[in-house]
Amino acid sequence: MLSRRHFLALSGVLASAPSWASIAVSEDKSLFASAFSQSKTEHFFGLFDVKGNLVWQTELPDRAHAPVVHPNQAIVGIVARRPGFFIDFFNVASHEKIIRIEPEKDHHFYGHALFTRDGQRLITQENHYPSGEGKVFVRGWPSGQILNVFSSHGIGPHESVLLHDDVLVIANGGLKTHPDNDRNILNLDTMSPNVTYLSLKDGKPLNQVANPKHLHQLSIRHLDVNQQGTVALGFQYQGPLWDQVPLVALSRIDQPELDYLPIPEQVRARFKQYCGSVCFDQSGEVLAISTPRGGFVAYWHVDTKTFLGVDNCRDVCGLVAHENAHEFILTAGTGNQYVSNPVREHIDLINKHPTVHWDNHLRQINT
Amino acid sequence: MKYLPKIMAVAISASAPLFGFAGQWQGPLNGIISDVIRSGYDSYAVSANSLAQQTKQLCSVPSKVNQAETQIAFQKNALDWQQVQWLNFGPVTYFMRYYAFEYWPDKKGVTQRQLRALAQQDPSVMETPKFWTSASIAVRGLTAIESLLYHPDFSPMQSKDHCHLLKKVTEHQFSSANDVAKQWQGSRAQDWVFAEDGAEFDAEQAALEQVLQQWLEHMSAVKDAKLETPIGYNGHENLKLAEFYRSNLSLPSIQANFLSYRKIYHAGQPSLYDIAQQQYPKLADQLEKTLINNQKLALQLPADYFQSGYSKTHRIEMATPLIKSISASQTYLTQLVTQLGFQIGFNSRDGD
Repeated sequence: MLSRRHFLALSGVLASAPSWASIAVSEDKSLFASAFSQSKTEHFFGLFDVKGNLVWQTELPDRAHAPVVHPNQAIVGIVARRPGFFIDFFNVASHEKIIRIEPEKDHHFYGHALFTRDGQRLITQENHYPSGEGKVFVRGWPSGQILNVFSSHGIGPHESVLLHDDVLVIANGGLKTHPDNDRNILNLDTMSPNVTYLSLKDGKPLNQVANPKHLHQLSIRHLDVNQQGTVALGFQYQGPLWDQVPLVALSRIDQPELDYLPIPEQVRARFKQYCGSVCFDQSGEVLAISTPRGGFVAYWHVDTKTFLGVDNCRDVCGLVAHENAHEFILTAGTGNQYVSNPVREHIDLINKHPTVHWDNHLRQINT
Repeated sequence: MKYLPKIMAVAISASAPLFGFAGQWQGPLNGIISDVIRSGYDSYAVSANSLAQQTKQLCSVPSKVNQAETQIAFQKNALDWQQVQWLNFGPVTYFMRYYAFEYWPDKKGVTQRQLRALAQQDPSVMETPKFWTSASIAVRGLTAIESLLYHPDFSPMQSKDHCHLLKKVTEHQFSSANDVAKQWQGSRAQDWVFAEDGAEFDAEQAALEQVLQQWLEHMSAVKDAKLETPIGYNGHENLKLAEFYRSNLSLPSIQANFLSYRKIYHAGQPSLYDIAQQQYPKLADQLEKTLINNQKLALQLPADYFQSGYSKTHRIEMATPLIKSISASQTYLTQLVTQLGFQIGFNSRDGD
């Protein structure tokens, strides 16, 4: 928690933080945020424009995972990679680091965080590692003061999204880990991932959905939600590579079961049991799932559950909806950035940075 | 949108290249394809055929001699497989062939369970045209054959049903191995690479990159799954998790893997080693030395290393120099290929 002195100083900094609209950097008014690495020991957080040019970067103490973007103020954060012990926030206009938020004692972050839509609260998924219980922390912004701590109603809450202001959808990945054992899975035989629809008013689960028992090693890891309230889920299977398991599903708050999406078997096998990022396009009609191990992004038309096809890109993982319907921006560990429209079956290389490894997740900032 | 496996059709027809120019990696790539992969699959297919023929002989004339001959044929075939096991790329990736050739590690005994069920069925079910395309991968390859020949639940010499099952599995395995061998004969590595969408793409470099990634991944598997896990290097000892432990091929399999590693490094003109020598001579030598060391240390382990009779501590003590040497070779190979400009994967190797 912040001291009063620090809080007052920070309030001053934040009061001067401009809105996104006032810092437009290009005609397109879009910026993209991602962590990246240049070697095993050199880790950064950066913003790039629609042409793929890095417009700002800053060095990080460790490898990070997913950016978090404030909805109103020109502030971006980056969450440390699991087991993560920091979220650093920056003023995009001044490039200053304005605050570092750290987890409470005996907790670590999972690499993802988000702001509520009004920007007043910051939500993080955390591991209480002595017990392995998944937690959701709600902190006031910018004070960092903890307002609520809820159970995630599962183990390993990796990513969450807001269904609406009062409901958080959590991907409880099911993996029990402890920082003393790096990322080793301690409950492989008993893991039981689920999707929990959590009331942010009282922390009660409004719906909870899991895979059938025989698929208990199918870790529910990443997710996105569209305007219609459909939640898309990407899995990472912890069992053998040869098992033929579903890897993508849809869910809704009022549905008791997951709705697995079809994938042609020759494509499913290429996923190597691993989904990276999950992302709807701006219209909510098209779903994209990246698989860095497979080296491609796969697309579906959501309403008809039709598999559309793939874009082959080595080491691709970062994925975000561009402002045009059906269009996505993709980033890869090779340093390449792409724009793809799977409905028009068109993909273009935007730019490439051969010395940069774009990390797992990408976020868009509409300035 | 290129999700249909057009590459497969291209490869089978063995014609249209994705990119036609010969680049700097032609030497090692062509050498590895020709000297390691094509010749490796040819040997594997030939010994799979010998095994199928020998099994036929065993079923016609069940005898101890024929059973012993069949086991010898199996051992030859399993070790030929070890020469190409490092490569899960190209034709072997289709129809789950890679996992069917060897269903391992089979921690839950799925192979035996499914073989027992199959042995109780009407043998004619295995004659139906689509049987093997829908059969479980657990009963389609070497793991199943090893069980039928070495597991106490099966006795192909006494039971006609068991022998028939063995005959069918060995025939299928030969057919599948032969298909892969033929597809490699009629195609190039570049044909099996998915062209990068939306970007310039050097198929030759991409193909060699895939091959190198496979080599690196296999090194990890040898160290972790084949050696450390069964001997309990980081946990509980369970020797039954060793590869082909019933036929006592666990150690020879590792030795065969190390032989193939040196072949990969030295295949082609110029070979990867030659190129490394020119550009990074110190690193080239370090990798060469550790690859030789891996071979030597594996040969120094006693033939009954994976059999009971040694304490866990003693077994770990004996393996530690080899484990360290494999780790060093992983490090040197990673450094070398990275410095040569290959991407060994960032998100794909270490995601979350």
